Amino acid sequence: MTLDSYLLLSLVLFCLGLFAVLSHRNLIAVLIGVELMMNAASLNVMAFNRFSVADPATGQIFVLIIIGLAAAEVAIFLSIALNLYRMRRTIDVEQLTELQG
Amino acid sequence: MSSLDLILLTTVTPLAAFALAILFLMRQPRLAQTVVIVGGALSLAGAASLLSQGPVAPLRYLWFASGDMQLRFGFLLDGMSLMFGVAVALITLCVMVYSLGYMSHDPGKTRYFAMLALFEWAMLSFVYAVDLLQSFIFWELVGLASFFLIGFWYEKPSATAAAKKAFLMTRVGDVGLFIGVLLVLQVAGHFDIPGLLAADGGLISQATPAVLTMITLLIFVGIVGKSAQFPLHTWLPDAMEGPTPVSALLHSATMVAAGVYLMARLHPLFMGSETTLGVILVVGSVTALLAATMAMVATDIKKVLAYSSISQLGFMLLGLAAGSLFAGVFHLITHALFKALLFLCSGLFIHHFASNDMAHIGRRGGRRMRFATTGLLIGGAALAGIPPLGGFFSKEEIFAALGHDGVSAFSVAAFLAAFLTAYYTFRMIFLVLNPLQVEPESHVSEGHDRAEPWSMALPVALLIVGAAIAGFFGSDIARHLGLDAVHHSFASMVPALVVVALGVLLAWLDFGRPSSARTGFIARVPSVERLFLNGWYVDAFYDAVVVRGTVLVATILHAAEVRLFDGNFDRFGFGMLGLGSASRRLQNGWVQFYGGWAAIVLGAVAVYFGMGG
Repeated sequence: MTLDSYLLLSLVLFCLGLFAVLSHRNLIAVLIGVELMMNAASLNVMAFNRFSVADPATGQIFVLIIIGLAAAEVAIFLSIALNLYRMRRTIDVEQLTELQG
Repeated sequence: MSSLDLILLTTVTPLAAFALAILFLMRQPRLAQTVVIVGGALSLAGAASLLSQGPVAPLRYLWFASGDMQLRFGFLLDGMSLMFGVAVALITLCVMVYSLGYMSHDPGKTRYFAMLALFEWAMLSFVYAVDLLQSFIFWELVGLASFFLIGFWYEKPSATAAAKKAFLMTRVGDVGLFIGVLLVLQVAGHFDIPGLLAADGGLISQATPAVLTMITLLIFVGIVGKSAQFPLHTWLPDAMEGPTPVSALLHSATMVAAGVYLMARLHPLFMGSETTLGVILVVGSVTALLAATMAMVATDIKKVLAYSSISQLGFMLLGLAAGSLFAGVFHLITHALFKALLFLCSGLFIHHFASNDMAHIGRRGGRRMRFATTGLLIGGAALAGIPPLGGFFSKEEIFAALGHDGVSAFSVAAFLAAFLTAYYTFRMIFLVLNPLQVEPESHVSEGHDRAEPWSMALPVALLIVGAAIAGFFGSDIARHLGLDAVHHSFASMVPALVVVALGVLLAWLDFGRPSSARTGFIARVPSVERLFLNGWYVDAFYDAVVVRGTVLVATILHAAEVRLFDGNFDRFGFGMLGLGSASRRLQNGWVQFYGGWAAIVLGAVAVYFGMGG
């Protein structure tokens, strides 16, 4: 296995996540897309760690922080989604366009 | 009463009358005219009692001080200002009373009388000013008041145009005057007139000859504008668009007289510069001659009088520049009286026949108006310089002053102008009194009744007396000026008499003889007549060069402004607006749209750096 195959997998994952974020109208599906993109990034970091850095701990610390951040982010994201649903009775992102110019 | 009380009575009453009339009495014209006339009468009483008390020390009050410079406001009560103040107040009062009749049917009466009061206040304050800056302020106010009065009938486009022309042309001169006044401040450090004129420590000892010449020339530029001298004379004939009493006021004691008075006031300064005196002599004689030729061919009675005013003002400046303060001031005062008389008489004719054309007035029976013709004869004779009327003696003084150093081109010009004056004056008189045929008197009244109302007759009667006897007060005027009375032998008067007699004779041959054709000798040379009729094309020249040039420059600048500045700023502004409305479509509040764009841009950047790296 070479670095390129890891990076290719990571790229595919990232693009799938991005596609989910941009195409789904459901806020929860968008959240899942974001999670996918984060995991792609983590995989990316681990791949670089495995093939090009002497000390393996560096990449692992990065990835652990990303996982922790992702957990916190999910908590905040879900609470926002919940509050939005309470106020608007919808979590369709195409209807939440109050901030347009 | 003290001098201060009296001078305040003289100058402030017209201002109070003006304020009362314009602020509170717009709807009560009868009350307003009473207020203004009472104000004028009080003012005259104040001026007369000041004159009877004689000269006193100048009154000065600090207006404000800035560093070493102190601006004072006050009253200079010497013989000249006391005398001229009475002339101003007297003639203004005559004109006010006369206007009661002349303007009786005018709907804007209150405004008219209020402006007369404003005019009187400005002129009197100018006459009594002790400070050059104060003089300048009231000088401008005189111009403002005359602007209002010339344009009094503002519905007439010609009247507003004349008012604008008068204001702008005098403004040309005033720029020069203002620079001159500022130069005085720079050299002397103060504006105090007696201080400037003082023999030791005055401006003459402070300024170098070149600077003194510059100052006096700049002040003279202001005088040229105000006193309608060549080449800024063309506003005065147009100013005839105002009501006739206004013309009487404008041409006699106020407005145009202000210029000559300023020169008389600052006479010692002018005497300090040979160059300036030379310029004034040239301008004065050119003006006196030029205006006289225009008066020879004018058909409008007010135009004849207007040109004669210009010509006589040239005479006054000639007298002053020849070194005789007395000659200039004497002629200023006699001219004020007889010119006011002539204008008020012409007003009687115009009021009655509703026409300004002399031939027309004559044909319709102007000679039947006994009272007006008497005034016209007396005033005309005084203007022509027939002894023993006022104009003869004062003109004689000017000839004497000019001939002091032997015969010069200037005295020849003055004699020629006096000859023409006699000619055009008697042309006017003959045209009105002795036309080829007179229409029989019609009993259908045209315009107004024949009998003059008392309000119009009284001032004319007063001025007839004034114009008739003014010449005998020469020695009193000299005494008030602090000069010795001048007596001339009979022999020295002969040339003036001959010149006047020749002028009258020629006028009689052309217009007075029963068999004459009633056309001037000048009509035999049509090109010259055209030249005179068109005022030597001075106005045409201004129109072609100054007015057209200004309009051209203004048009170019306007186009530049609209296209270059406004256009580009507009384009910039509208571009920004378009950019804004285009970019606001990007901000549609749809998160995924933003995210998509962000991904595209970031991807592009990544690819770019990926390729480059």
